[in-house]
Amino acid sequence: MSKGFASNYRIVLLGVGVLACFGCVGLRLLDLHVLDRDRLVGAVDRARRQIIVETARRGDILDTRGDTLATSRSLIVLGVDPQALRKEDESKWPQLAKLLNMPLADLERVFNAKSRPAAADDKADDDRLIRWAKLSESVEESTYDQITKLEVKGVYGNRTFRRAYPHNALAAHIIGYVNKEGEAAAGVESFADFYLRGQDGWRESEKDGLRRELAQFRNREVDATGGYKVVLSIDSAIQHIVEQEIEEIVKKFNPAKVSVIVSEPSSGFILALANYPTYNLNEYNTLKKDEMGSMRNLAITDVLDPGSTFKIVSASGALNEGMVTPATKFDCTLESMDYKGKPRRFMRDDHKFDHPLAVSEIISHSSNVGAAQLGMLLGEDGVYRYARAFGFGEKSGFPFGGEVSGFLNTPDKWSGVDITRIPAGYSISATPMQIHYAMATIASGGVLMRPQVIRQVQDASGEVIYNFTGSVRRHVITTRTAEQMARMLQGVASPEGTAPMAAIPNFEVAGKTGTAQKLINGHYSEHNHVGSFVGFFPASRPRVVISVIVDDAKVPGGRIAYGATVAAPSFKRIGEQLIQYLDIKPVLDPGRNLLVMDGGRK
Amino acid sequence: MSVSFRNPLEFFSVFKTTTRERFDWVTPLAVLALSAIGVAFIYSAQLSTPQNNWITQLVWLAAGGMVYLAVSLIDYRFWLSFSHWFYLACIGALALVLLPGIGTERFGAQRWLDFGFFAFQPSEPVKAAVLLVTAGILVRSQVGTVNQSLGTLGKLALAAGVPIFLILLQPDLKSAIVLPPVVFSMLYVSNLSNRFFTVALGAFLLLVSVVAWDTHNYRKFIHDNNLDYSKDRGKFEAHSWLPLHDYQRNRIISFIDPFEIDPTGVGWNQSQSMISVGSGGLTGKGWTQGTQAQLGYLPRAVAHNDFIFSVIAEEKGFLGSLTVLGLFGIIMFNGIRIAGLARDRFGTLIAIGVTVLFAVHVFVNIAMTIGLVPITGIPLPFISYGGSFVLSCCLLQGLVQSVYRFRKDFT
Repeated sequence: MSKGFASNYRIVLLGVGVLACFGCVGLRLLDLHVLDRDRLVGAVDRARRQIIVETARRGDILDTRGDTLATSRSLIVLGVDPQALRKEDESKWPQLAKLLNMPLADLERVFNAKSRPAAADDKADDDRLIRWAKLSESVEESTYDQITKLEVKGVYGNRTFRRAYPHNALAAHIIGYVNKEGEAAAGVESFADFYLRGQDGWRESEKDGLRRELAQFRNREVDATGGYKVVLSIDSAIQHIVEQEIEEIVKKFNPAKVSVIVSEPSSGFILALANYPTYNLNEYNTLKKDEMGSMRNLAITDVLDPGSTFKIVSASGALNEGMVTPATKFDCTLESMDYKGKPRRFMRDDHKFDHPLAVSEIISHSSNVGAAQLGMLLGEDGVYRYARAFGFGEKSGFPFGGEVSGFLNTPDKWSGVDITRIPAGYSISATPMQIHYAMATIASGGVLMRPQVIRQVQDASGEVIYNFTGSVRRHVITTRTAEQMARMLQGVASPEGTAPMAAIPNFEVAGKTGTAQKLINGHYSEHNHVGSFVGFFPASRPRVVISVIVDDAKVPGGRIAYGATVAAPSFKRIGEQLIQYLDIKPVLDPGRNLLVMDGGRK
Repeated sequence: MSVSFRNPLEFFSVFKTTTRERFDWVTPLAVLALSAIGVAFIYSAQLSTPQNNWITQLVWLAAGGMVYLAVSLIDYRFWLSFSHWFYLACIGALALVLLPGIGTERFGAQRWLDFGFFAFQPSEPVKAAVLLVTAGILVRSQVGTVNQSLGTLGKLALAAGVPIFLILLQPDLKSAIVLPPVVFSMLYVSNLSNRFFTVALGAFLLLVSVVAWDTHNYRKFIHDNNLDYSKDRGKFEAHSWLPLHDYQRNRIISFIDPFEIDPTGVGWNQSQSMISVGSGGLTGKGWTQGTQAQLGYLPRAVAHNDFIFSVIAEEKGFLGSLTVLGLFGIIMFNGIRIAGLARDRFGTLIAIGVTVLFAVHVFVNIAMTIGLVPITGIPLPFISYGGSFVLSCCLLQGLVQSVYRFRKDFT
């Protein structure tokens, strides 16, 4: 070969260059295929394996009579794969739009958006294809059946459960809610989540490059187990009565807060609990920031000076210790009295009493001077001991909602006048729940019960899984003392008492009013009061304890918002409705009633 | 060295004498094997899709066989006087593609001339045209030191520059970057002084560093402005005087650091391709059994063309990919052997040019599927699906066969 123009060594060098390149490729192939294989195979497995979760249906929350308070509705999240749409289905689009209650134009816009646009000047990269676009978040099962029958290829749905509260705001602070992420966020929903949530099912499977399940590789499957039903002690009828009454109070007095609790004294179960302000469980997410406070269960989160309702503590204590009888008399005209060698000034009473008051009158007339003298008789330690025994200064054990324990100083921290203030319900603070259960202690014969709202846990078929029973916290006073107290408390609703308007003839209403000045900026206000009435009936065999606590009510004419004015009438109206609803029998004048009943039968 | 046009039948002298000596069987057999592998794995790659491009590929291969036969029968020296016309026709086609209404746009680039029954990419035959014209210029000139060859280099720059420019306008970076190595290797074999190549290498390194610097700035720009690589593509382009698109910068970054950019975005193809290759192991998962390809992890849009090698590597393993690499190696070294056997400089240059062109295609394509170079979309000769590409590959190998057949006068 005569190759003056093309030197052989350069051709050889070129060949060596090509060989070197191929050598690199070969080595890299060896590396990937043989040496690095395990890591890459692991990546394949990881990418393909998937666990598909089948959501369990959350259990219902029922009231004590089986009425549904919270339930899970099965809904379909409907979407479309625009790539899978067929031309021949286009005629069905208007029907589909009608079923979805969606303007056809909107539907077409979703259907025709096949890809997410890449940047305008991006010449070579393909646009990302859209494989799923949401059409509707909540399609009912029946509508979905119709949509399935249309057979529009590419339109498909995923079943989810949506929590619904049929009674909206009813018992909102008890029931709580499940948020959009499916997490139980408040109330029984959160507290009993363990029973309600059920067990999600799952299947291990594999997916392809577009993350679609490959059913042929499905290898393990566990069915979902629905959650248990939780039956509350709340009775939605009573709850409704209570909430209507709160509405009335709000309409009439425009208070800052109202709490009403109705419970069963023998077991401690709560039949109704409602607060103002409250919120709609189905619209919890629409609350504005300054309305978030309405989610709080004020009955346990907010404290107030209990005022006169607290007088039952020192009276019970003195009776229980045998220091006094209901008839023991005290001079309630005194302005001060020596205690532990020092004179202590009394808080003035609104009324001047012209004769010494018996213990029963101290209660029925709500004398601050009398209560203070009972406290002095009992001593600082005694008052403290009984206050703690009645549940003040400690959490009641209400199961959820962020309960606070209130404020009750130990006697060594008491100031000089506290022995005259505390027995009358000042210088301490308590939650409505504490005040309610202190009164319930007298109604239950001296036993302090734990506030409970869950009666039962049932499985889907209604089989009882767990039954809750009344739970005793402690014995506070003897049954005899409790009976004496109950009798004295009936005097409050008598014509001579502070709250004759609470009386329901023949039903032995026992109770105590409370009118406490509100502590505002460190001073007791002359204009802002907490008015309350806490009581039970019938006194000889109590069926219900009711407390009505109204914070900062505005009484027409700027008059003081006495418990007798703002709370006692509500107590009576609720009581009257409960008599009908719970079929509570009157106790007085048994002869007449028997006659009527006999007459009815014959 | 000149071809007589007085008796055109001379070109078809193969019909007069047929001897074993007159035909090279090595390359055609290797090409046949590669084509068969290609059809089989296009079938496999598309098994789970409704497409059947393997049938179309068979048709193209049949047409390519005829082109191969025809080109190899024509004495390559015919192109010495005819390559200009071929070249001009190709340039014309390239210009036509760019005209709105004539060229067809697909995937954002104007690369196709649509003839109804098939769409044709003029950038494919342009590779052959540039190669032939370059060889023609080189044999007609005296090449030595840089100073002596300035005129020639100028002509070459024009001959290669115009089509490269037109191709870049489409835009089709990958078709443009295969041409410079071909021209340089032909210059190298033509004994151009080492100084030129030293300078060229220097210039190339400079270009690489400028691109690297620009890419670094791009990354910084994205980070500083809290942008997203895929969502904010195009925002940096206004800030840089380099005619690079941000999606190309993304590819460079994803090659260097796949985790810098969303692994399911730009780097997805390459990482899935590497997983495919690796999971194939020594002997592979078996034909049509590759999960990466069958389940669509290796994106279906590219599995049968640019990333066909990953499918082969996954389903036939290390042995399969070595076989493919080996077959290409045979073609390469047979090409270099034929370059040495050629009767004249024109033949040598054609054989060298074609061989280097193939080597670039094979190397860049395979290296891209195994993560050695950034993704460029250069197809694998005879294996990747694509009509224009099959035809141009057959034409180029036909030229080499012609160089072999006419290496001497057989009487």
